[in-house]
Amino acid sequence: MLKNVGIAGFGAYIPANRLPIREVAEFWGKDPQDVERSLGVIEKAIPDADEDAVTMAVEAGLNALKMAKISPEALEAIYIGSESHPYAVNPSATIVGEALGVGRNYLAADLEFACKAATAGMENLAGLLEADLINYGLVIGSDAAQAKPHDALEYTAGAGAAAFILSRKKEDFLVQILDFTSYSSDTPDFWRRDGVPYPSHQGRFSGKPAFFAHVIGAAKKLLEKNKMKPTDFSYCVFHMPNGKFPVEVASNLGFEKEQLEPGLVVNKIGNPYSASSLLGLCAVLEIAKPRELIFLTSYGSGAGADSFILKTTKILTTARKRVLGIKEYLNDRREISYSKYLRLTNKI
Amino acid sequence: MKIEVLGVGTTKFGELWEVSPRTLVKEAVSEALSDANLKLANIEALYVGNMLSGILGGQENLGALFAEELGLFVPAFKIEGACASGGLAVHNAINSILAGVYKTVLVVGVEKMTDYNPGEVVSALMGAGHDEERLAGMTFPGLYAMLARSYMEKYGTTERDLAVVAVKNHHHATLNSKAQFQFEVSVDQVLKSPLVADPLRLLDCSPISDGASAMILGSERQERSKTRKTVWITASSVATDSLGLVGRKDLTSLASAVEAARKAYKMAGVNPQDIDVAEVHDCFSIAEVIACEDLGFFPKGEAAGAIAKGKTTLGQGRLIINPSGGLKACGHPVGATGVKQIVEITTQLRGEEGLRQVKGAKIGLTHNVGGSGAVAVIHVLKNE
Amino acid sequence: MNRISPVKIWRHQKETAFFLRKEGKIISWTLVRTPPEGFEREAPYPVVLVELEKGKRRMGQLVDWQDKDLRVGRKVKAVYRRIKQPDPEGIIPYGIKFKPI
Repeated sequence: MLKNVGIAGFGAYIPANRLPIREVAEFWGKDPQDVERSLGVIEKAIPDADEDAVTMAVEAGLNALKMAKISPEALEAIYIGSESHPYAVNPSATIVGEALGVGRNYLAADLEFACKAATAGMENLAGLLEADLINYGLVIGSDAAQAKPHDALEYTAGAGAAAFILSRKKEDFLVQILDFTSYSSDTPDFWRRDGVPYPSHQGRFSGKPAFFAHVIGAAKKLLEKNKMKPTDFSYCVFHMPNGKFPVEVASNLGFEKEQLEPGLVVNKIGNPYSASSLLGLCAVLEIAKPRELIFLTSYGSGAGADSFILKTTKILTTARKRVLGIKEYLNDRREISYSKYLRLTNKI
Repeated sequence: MKIEVLGVGTTKFGELWEVSPRTLVKEAVSEALSDANLKLANIEALYVGNMLSGILGGQENLGALFAEELGLFVPAFKIEGACASGGLAVHNAINSILAGVYKTVLVVGVEKMTDYNPGEVVSALMGAGHDEERLAGMTFPGLYAMLARSYMEKYGTTERDLAVVAVKNHHHATLNSKAQFQFEVSVDQVLKSPLVADPLRLLDCSPISDGASAMILGSERQERSKTRKTVWITASSVATDSLGLVGRKDLTSLASAVEAARKAYKMAGVNPQDIDVAEVHDCFSIAEVIACEDLGFFPKGEAAGAIAKGKTTLGQGRLIINPSGGLKACGHPVGATGVKQIVEITTQLRGEEGLRQVKGAKIGLTHNVGGSGAVAVIHVLKNE
Repeated sequence: MNRISPVKIWRHQKETAFFLRKEGKIISWTLVRTPPEGFEREAPYPVVLVELEKGKRRMGQLVDWQDKDLRVGRKVKAVYRRIKQPDPEGIIPYGIKFKPI
């Protein structure tokens, strides 16, 4: 059990453009209702021509700072987790740090692990905080996901960012991070070689041996270690590659629909990769009551899962009112056509 | 102050594919020398007005370049002030004469814009603006469109009201064999032309052009011609305002033009009502409307209406504006325009403009602006 | 000609951090349809002149906009975006644009 790790502020960002999945389906001659049903996704968020993982991270980071009410210069570590860092070499973390006004006294690092780079960052920050090495750290999961036209991923690859400021001072905690664990292996279910624009995946192999094996592996390990059961929790949040996998894995582990639904943002924004599970967490934190337990498990292809036990505090309810939340971002919506999407994502 | 305009010359303005900048300058200068009845040996200094030679063509050092091209190894200078480069070159030439450094000076304005793609030219012209404007993806039509928007909001002017400027200037240009466009346009044609930067449309905007204009200036102790009217420059003034629109106090007026005009009227001892003919900087239709008000020709908010009523049209009005066709129809080779304006007024004041002569013109004015109003140059001329 | 120097981008960082999230209203606007080099992908786009707190003015592109947002007086806030498409090997220029609120 951790003693000194909590969330002092969090922020979301979802780009305004929304591509309805039926537009994609119709273009490629598939039945839109079939696709919507089988994937559990209605529309996905697409970044504008001038947005990328860094710009979205900055917006989410500004929200988190506003909620935490700390000076940006108090941040001593920044981790950005993404699989669409704008540079192969040049840290997103320092570009974001400079825009947020963090000064010079911080550790900065970019992380990559498919969709779970940011939760790995969260674990790192937890280590630094628990060891009293820093007071405040910022972790952001941000992605402007790319998918090859006509590939299955085209229906779900979305964009967004979620930022979390972690603190070691109990009086800051809106949410306490009680424990975490990780489960990793070399499983080639989804990958992208350097210099190649679109990722590749191994179809149905991404299911049972990949997503399910690791999510269940990490989740069961953490529950057993803490001698807890699904019924102890008010909410559960999983990585959401589509609308089906999280529902299935929740049920498999023994969670109920009511625990899962508040965090199931995927049907309205698609899969924003490194921001997926964390945006689900933001959605839950916007409605959770004090002293409720939340179970969070991310998944990253390649593969691995990070699982967390979180508990809300009394001060969450007032703090979260300070910034725009998932609800506002979901409503700030501009529907685009498939051809506009092709233009915005530089495919034509 | 009295500076004599000894001779003037100009090339045609337009898309002159086959003609290089060197040839353009030689042509304009040759016409000016012959008009002045002078030889190259009489010229003591050369001032060149040009904006884009470096950005587009990679060529700087134009003073030396054209001095050599003309066979004129005298002190030579390039003066740059965006679209006011020509007018500023004249101003500097005048100052050198007033200071007694030179007696007879050649001024040339030249620009070659059609060798490059419109996108490149649009970007290059933004060198006249503020960095913040460039980073915002602004263009020159965009900057003047913002001025148009503010003017329209303040005075209730419509796009239709602004369209009359192009119509009038095209009409004047049908009488100018050196103009780029020698055909009429109607208000409907202007309003149907594609939007370039809302609310300005293609036919509200001056074109991309090539051309050169030249003049020879002298101190007042030169010999006077017995057969034609002598033309004097009696005022030359310059004023500056903020580089970008961000720094302006009023977005419905160009303070630099107001100030330069105030000084010029004082210097020349005339009032706006004394002006018979003027060449103003109509880079965009709104620019002519604002210019008329900045120069004191019409009260604020009323210029568009006056232009529509023909009050500045050849054959109808008392004060004729842009008899050459202005920048819109005569063309706007950026560095040449300021010089061409004075060439036009000079010929008007001599009574030699033929079909587009403003009858009985005695006092003329030129108004040349750089950027979106960062610098303005005003000249007042009179005959005797 | 149009590649922005990385050193210049570096010098502008403080200015960007200063303006982020500041709110203001539109003083004047236009819709640029014939873009300069580097801005072709986004054209047509609105450019606005904004008056922020304490009378400070700034020009920038308007993002996430609809036709009804293009009016004098519309409230906006400064957001963080790519300024223009970077050249394939160059530094990405980030900076301020405006979003209707």
